[in-house]
Amino acid sequence: MLGRITREAEKLTINGSGIQGVQSVSANYASQAQFLNNLGVNEIKYAPEGPQQATLDVNTLLTQLLPEGAGVDSRDPMLNYTGDLAFSGTVDHGSKAFQFTEGYLQSYSVSCGIGQIPQASSSCLIYGDFGTGLFGDFEQSDPIDQVLNVTSFSSMEINLDAFKTNRVLNFDVNIATPRIPIYAIGIDTPTGVIAGSPMEVNVNFQIQPDDYEIKNMRFVPEETVFKNTTITLKKNNSNDILLTYSFENMLLSSESFQGGVDSDASVNFSLRSFILR
Amino acid sequence: MADLIFYDKAAVKVTVGNTNEVLLASDCSVSFSSSVQPLYTIGRKGSLGQFPSAARAGEISFSFLTSITGEHDKQPGNIINYLASGIKGSINSNASGALIQVAGLSGTGFLSSYSFNVASNSVSTSSASFTLFGSGEVANNQNLNVPISGRLANSDFSPSTGANPAAATNSVLATGIGHGRFTNLDGFRTELTGPTSNGTIFGADYSISFNHNPIYKVGQEFPSCTYYTTASESMNITEDVFNSGLSFSGVDVGDVMLNVKGLDSSKQMQVGLSGLKQINSSASVGLDDIVRTQKTLVAAY
Repeated sequence: MLGRITREAEKLTINGSGIQGVQSVSANYASQAQFLNNLGVNEIKYAPEGPQQATLDVNTLLTQLLPEGAGVDSRDPMLNYTGDLAFSGTVDHGSKAFQFTEGYLQSYSVSCGIGQIPQASSSCLIYGDFGTGLFGDFEQSDPIDQVLNVTSFSSMEINLDAFKTNRVLNFDVNIATPRIPIYAIGIDTPTGVIAGSPMEVNVNFQIQPDDYEIKNMRFVPEETVFKNTTITLKKNNSNDILLTYSFENMLLSSESFQGGVDSDASVNFSLRSFILR
Repeated sequence: MADLIFYDKAAVKVTVGNTNEVLLASDCSVSFSSSVQPLYTIGRKGSLGQFPSAARAGEISFSFLTSITGEHDKQPGNIINYLASGIKGSINSNASGALIQVAGLSGTGFLSSYSFNVASNSVSTSSASFTLFGSGEVANNQNLNVPISGRLANSDFSPSTGANPAAATNSVLATGIGHGRFTNLDGFRTELTGPTSNGTIFGADYSISFNHNPIYKVGQEFPSCTYYTTASESMNITEDVFNSGLSFSGVDVGDVMLNVKGLDSSKQMQVGLSGLKQINSSASVGLDDIVRTQKTLVAAY
């Protein structure tokens, strides 16, 4: 009988740390072999055309984070890779595993709504090796922290300019970290991967408004720029701050209003900013 | 209705002397033209008619994958590279030309230009152009004199450069194709000293053009013979080092061997460049990219 590989036998390790709270992980690569067509074609020939890359997508619940004082910018391990740093890792499935090197975070997002545990999604590009049989021994993974630090909608804080009496239904933060691989002749991995600039940050909210006012569609800088946008995720039923997402001078990029006979009025608005690096 | 010739029956075959090759061409164009012009005289409004002002001539040009597994007179590489190397290194001026056949058309032409490129992670592609003057020396059959003859028909030859020609219908990895992933161009990189800075090469474009001089005599449309006169060669290299030390007389690079390799590293196509000089340095940058530099190396034969 064929065996099943269920979630308890699956594990994601990045730079030696076992990522916790993983809801889904997917990895893929596509062959760059292209059909070489020619006049008088009489056989099918292939040759690699274009650089080979793989992708890794990870979705995690923010339930276990890096220990406080671990010497990193964020306690969410993936959020620490928005800069120049590359990572390598392993995906274990049953008794098998595949590995990858030179992974770079391409986009990171975190979202939460009423009744939910905040969830983070990371999309990564693998410029190095990917698969099996190509690598030396990887270090064994250690879970980053077995202690549950469950973030929660009920204890998070959202701080926008003059934003007090409106109920947030959900939000999401999206950070795009562009990567520019530089390929030279004679080598199949990039000679360098440049952390592109600027990084684009988009923050979307859905609220049930009380005193919130829709802004003027005509561009009015003092009304359409939020000087401070801070989302603080705390431990469930606690004041312990676990994660903070803070952005300055975000531009209001869209607003929409919904009203109906069977629901409260709601407003969706989106903020956008760019971070130079 | 004329026969319709699909591309899979329109292979390009080039014959030089006793050696030939069916190329992995991706396109081919053939043109044949007469040069006539109207004559006018004073005292008459209309033209006297249109009269020939030069001999008929043809041109065949094609692009092809840079195949490197062929061997012609012990020189590795495709037949166009063999032909170009032979012409530029020749000491005999009397050129015999190459027979080009495609889809039932054929003619003897003289290589006027040849180029190929090598870029990171990409298959190398080449292109060649031939000028066909015809020949006045083939007297018995009038049709053999014209630059281009024949009518459209299926080619009775096809390429055979796969790993295993016997298994022609099977999928094969094209090991015999030049590829940027497997080609090393370190011999062409810019190297600066004090402090040391060695360029990383991202791509290269090679080209060579030939001048041929057909000799026409009175009483005959097509030339009695055709002489090869000069050739000019250039190579544009894209890298990441700008050499501002360009001198008035150019920078001597010397003799460099360009080796184009493919998936099978034991095979390579060679181009010997002699007396190279760097005559140009440039740098450019666009959004979301690094500053890339270009340099032009030239040689003359």
